[in-house]
Amino acid sequence: MGAFGRRILTAILFLPAILFTVMGLRWLVDPAGIAPDLGLTLETGLGLSSQIGDLAAFFLVAGISLLIALVTKQRSWFYPTAMLLGFAALGRALAWVAHDAALAPHILFEVIVALLILAGAKFLPESSN
Amino acid sequence: MPLVRIAFILVLSLAAIFESHAADGGRPNIVFLLADDLGYTDIAPYGSEINTPALAQLAETGVKFTNYHTAANCAPARAMLLTGVSSHLAGVPNIPEMLAPEQAMQDNYQGVLGDNVVTIATLLEGAGYHTYLAGKWHLGSAPNKLPSRRGFERTVALMDSGADNWEQRPYLPIYDDANWFADGERFELPEDFYSSQFLIDKTIEFIDDNLDDGKPFFAYVPFQAVHIPVQAPQEYIDRYMGRYDEGWQKLREERVAKAVSLGIFSPDVEMTTMSTTADWDALDAERQRFESKRMAVYAGMVESMDTHIGRLVTYLKEKGQFENTIFVFTSDNGAEGSGAQDMSSFAAQRTLTSMGYRSDYESLGLKGSFNSINPGFTSAAVGPLSYYKFYAGEGGLRVPLIIAGEPLGEVVPRTTAFAWATDIAATILSMAGVEPVGARHAGKPVLPMTGKDLMPVINGAQERIYGDEETIGYELTGQGVLFQGDYKLVRNQPPLGDGQWRLFNIVSDPGEINDLKASMPERFGAMMDAYDQFAIDNRVQELPEGYDQRRQIVINLLRERMGPTLIVAFLLLLVLAPFVVYIKTRH
Repeated sequence: MGAFGRRILTAILFLPAILFTVMGLRWLVDPAGIAPDLGLTLETGLGLSSQIGDLAAFFLVAGISLLIALVTKQRSWFYPTAMLLGFAALGRALAWVAHDAALAPHILFEVIVALLILAGAKFLPESSN
Repeated sequence: MPLVRIAFILVLSLAAIFESHAADGGRPNIVFLLADDLGYTDIAPYGSEINTPALAQLAETGVKFTNYHTAANCAPARAMLLTGVSSHLAGVPNIPEMLAPEQAMQDNYQGVLGDNVVTIATLLEGAGYHTYLAGKWHLGSAPNKLPSRRGFERTVALMDSGADNWEQRPYLPIYDDANWFADGERFELPEDFYSSQFLIDKTIEFIDDNLDDGKPFFAYVPFQAVHIPVQAPQEYIDRYMGRYDEGWQKLREERVAKAVSLGIFSPDVEMTTMSTTADWDALDAERQRFESKRMAVYAGMVESMDTHIGRLVTYLKEKGQFENTIFVFTSDNGAEGSGAQDMSSFAAQRTLTSMGYRSDYESLGLKGSFNSINPGFTSAAVGPLSYYKFYAGEGGLRVPLIIAGEPLGEVVPRTTAFAWATDIAATILSMAGVEPVGARHAGKPVLPMTGKDLMPVINGAQERIYGDEETIGYELTGQGVLFQGDYKLVRNQPPLGDGQWRLFNIVSDPGEINDLKASMPERFGAMMDAYDQFAIDNRVQELPEGYDQRRQIVINLLRERMGPTLIVAFLLLLVLAPFVVYIKTRH
């Protein structure tokens, strides 16, 4: 991949990095605002605690890992985000096949971004440090 | 001998069976019908030209209150109606959408029903009633505030101050969605939804589900009609097309004349013209045509509500329940006067288009269309009374109240006795033979009900419930009221009011024209003292400096909408800062 292509890929990967970070923060600050975006109704008690804690962790890890990878140029940091998205897509597919869930369009986004991240892990330069 | 003994036992058994049936039959069903923003003369029994035969029939057989008062806006009224406790002590001195942050810091200014009060639904359910709610709740949407947690066994309830009547969509930009819940869970409205029809359908469904178990029911039906957006089925709109072409002044005169002929007002009743009432004749023909249709939709919405009330009555008759059912019909507050003067103005259109609504003449009131009535027609809706919803003038507080049903026995046809919103709760409990709540309930201290049982005036045993010295206070955003006997101390705030206290005799002067402050200084002073005491007893907060209710709604909207966004943006900057520092140091 040429320098221009690497620059484009870096720029593209910054977008999901910021998006995931914002989604994680929204789960911490305004869960009622973001829950409907994912087709969720907020629970109460332990359910609410799990929704906020787990989903905020998911998106913050996805976003910040990707940011670290892009900024520090340490390619191993691409993999946590790729794994999170890959397993999320796998989970959605299984939910559709085995658990009678709707086939969410989000799966397409997750697969595409995961592939882009894996491309980043392969083609973007590794820091010499 | 054995035969005699058997016969004796048989007779005793039959007597026991009959007694048990009599006991069940002795507890009446209660249907509490609550219109939203309905003006004092908006139904036929109070002087309206709008066809409301079901309510007219109830008024014909029951008692019509002509001096009943409620709160000036919705949630405080609902809190009082359902608990019998003053709105300030019940935690709902105002709707949360209008509370200033300084006010919201006080525990009784949360705008949601406090845990220190008990609803009549809770008490009736505890006494063996089935309790149903189909309609607007607006007393809190947190899980522990839902109606299914406040005594209602079956519910389909709107959490917000209002919503579209044709589909599940919010009517104001302060809401992301129209928040409907059924039995404690989020609920999606059906495709063929129209509010009044749907709410009566659900009420009938709830009643029908348990009809055979012999237990009485309490069905609370807080309609969306005729809250904005004013919407109605085409067939109902058609009946009033052209009816209002002569304008609001003419309609007001007609309604007052009809109310006078019904004996509701004396022929010499005086009335003021509100500053928001424009000169009809100064409008061009196109504007007149449009304003006339706005009102036709309103009338259609009222008639549609009445039709569905009639459908419920017919159902109860078919099921043999009508003879054992008491109906209470009223409105949460007076008519809404904040509709746009000119719906084609830039500001009005900007608001509507931002919500995705249209307001063209042809589809006005139908699905996708937003409508309200001109404040000129609101003045007609309240007859000779002054002011509207949100104000402490009689137009905001005095509304129809009809109580009817065979279980009441002999009733007076009409009463001029003063009655207050908290009295409805006490009266419903009295009808059901259930004791009002005391100082404790379910193992915890609660506020006792202060409303009074209206049964003595309903059956004619008394002419009045409140003595000449008793006082009833009320406050909303600085609008202040104190009722005592036939007198009313009142302060209306800007923009329509001037913030000055006045004194009126609302029996002889329901239009509030003749201020008695100067001629009755002792009464004025004593009532001012009583109001001050009411404010202390009810923990009424002073308004923050420069408070304006419309501006506060916008500020709360921005805070609610932008607050989380700003916090997220700030936190994002904090997250990104180390990366920026890293990049800078690397370079």
